[in-house]
Amino acid sequence: MYEIWLMLNIVWELVLLHRWAVAAVLLGLALLWAAARGRSGRRTGPTFALVAAVVFPLAIVGLPMLFGSSVTEARYGPDWLLVIGSAAGAAMLAGLFAVPVARLLRTDRNAGARPHPPLSGGAAPRA
Amino acid sequence: MNPDRNAPFSRRQWLHALVAVGSASLPLISGRTLAAAQQHSARVVILGSGAGGISLANRLARALPAASITMVDRKEAHHYQPGYTLVATGIWDVAQVIDTNASLLPGGIRWVREMAREIDPESRVVTTDAGTRVPYDFLVVATGLALDYAAIPGMDVAAIGRDGVASVYNGPDGASATWRAMAQFRERGGDALMTLPATPLKCAGAPLKMTFLLADRLRQAGTLERSRVTFESALGVVFGVPRINEDVLRRWKEGGVAVEFNHRLAEIDIGRRRAVFATPEGERHERPYDFIHVVPPMRATDVIRTSPLAWREGPFAAGGWLEVDRSTLRHRRYPNVFGIGDINGTPRGKTAATVKKSAPVVEANLISTIAGREPTASFDGYTSCPMIIREGSAMLIEFDYDGRLTPSLPMIDPMQESYLAWLMKVKMLKPAYYAVLRGRV
Repeated sequence: MYEIWLMLNIVWELVLLHRWAVAAVLLGLALLWAAARGRSGRRTGPTFALVAAVVFPLAIVGLPMLFGSSVTEARYGPDWLLVIGSAAGAAMLAGLFAVPVARLLRTDRNAGARPHPPLSGGAAPRA
Repeated sequence: MNPDRNAPFSRRQWLHALVAVGSASLPLISGRTLAAAQQHSARVVILGSGAGGISLANRLARALPAASITMVDRKEAHHYQPGYTLVATGIWDVAQVIDTNASLLPGGIRWVREMAREIDPESRVVTTDAGTRVPYDFLVVATGLALDYAAIPGMDVAAIGRDGVASVYNGPDGASATWRAMAQFRERGGDALMTLPATPLKCAGAPLKMTFLLADRLRQAGTLERSRVTFESALGVVFGVPRINEDVLRRWKEGGVAVEFNHRLAEIDIGRRRAVFATPEGERHERPYDFIHVVPPMRATDVIRTSPLAWREGPFAAGGWLEVDRSTLRHRRYPNVFGIGDINGTPRGKTAATVKKSAPVVEANLISTIAGREPTASFDGYTSCPMIIREGSAMLIEFDYDGRLTPSLPMIDPMQESYLAWLMKVKMLKPAYYAVLRGRV
């Protein structure tokens, strides 16, 4: 129980320490999702999965390097749990950014070809 | 403070006690004890604004709103000392270990920006170097320790960073200067001497980490092959926990680090780059060096060493350490005095991790004493040492008074070099340290 409480405190202190970066990420996500609200969401799942699948292996290698180490220093279960867990987190975050961006790009590309879907949300009208 | 200990508690007092007990800091005492202590307007004086002092100040300010809490310390800066090894080996910038005490101390306490010069435990008064008299009902001693560089003839702390002299312990500037000396040395390599005194040490793992990382820096620079790194221990071991001692010696043997036991740094000639080591038999050996890491002998601060609070006999008397019971951390002769951190005359732990686990014990036992009850919370001597093996890898070693390995999480293998332990050292322990200072864990 104490260790869980300690870990929560560490996370809280990390958030305080990097509050501007955390705020920027949250604000960026909020703005992107707000901008993409009402745009076509039919390809959300594949977009998320594709980006996450690309970022995950990169994060496996890259995150330990970012922290002055290397994935080759992962030697036993808890190390691999950390490496895989943090890479999964990075992949999810990348996916969360990618989905609204993809929606916006797709809509912009199609803007000249056909009218926007209704802002109230839902799928584009069937032909 | 003349409370009526039998007075009934008001609903508000009970509520306050329940909230305080509910916080993670006070599972060690009952709500009744806390409520009783909260009736007192006790004068609590804390000597020292290091990790122990600030942690206790935050805890007590929250738990005892009616108490008068006074911090006595002139220091305005707060240094994250566990980060010194990272600064001294080029992993962190020095700015990462510097903060201010003002940002860490709780509101509502009195801060006397003077240094304690004298303690009279009979009349319960602390006198500062400016002559201010600070009376107390309860005293928390958290002065830290004194680095006795002067005990090494020829040693000049101003030389740290040049002429191959390094010392991780001499504050942030000393750590930063140590990295300058190490960075110069790694380019060419040569003879490196890494010293260890026989006194109790603040972070006893630091001299070992410095040795591991020096060897790693030489390896990275391609100069390890033409270098000779020798660890000169004044003791018969390099670390007090037998399993760790054996493991480190095995690693050094494989890595080409030589070890000489019972070699105490007795003298240094910085200009000639010569160090003299003395053996228990009285022999003296002169060693040339291109790089030397000096670990100073350590002792209690003068204010404690010269006070009636110091040990009078036993293994802690020579250094003048605070005479506390190793379990309750209460003074053995003055029951209204408690100790926390490096100043305590207890085995082993002089680390921030020790403060982390002992601060709740001191808080609980002090509150029990204020409430007129016997202290019951017990400290097992927990301490921790993330032993950096090389850049990117460490071992997370936790142990108690008796040298038993006590990993906090069952899946952690203290003997396993690990990325997780490295990440904890460089990214997670500082946030944990701040949570300790704020009295939340």
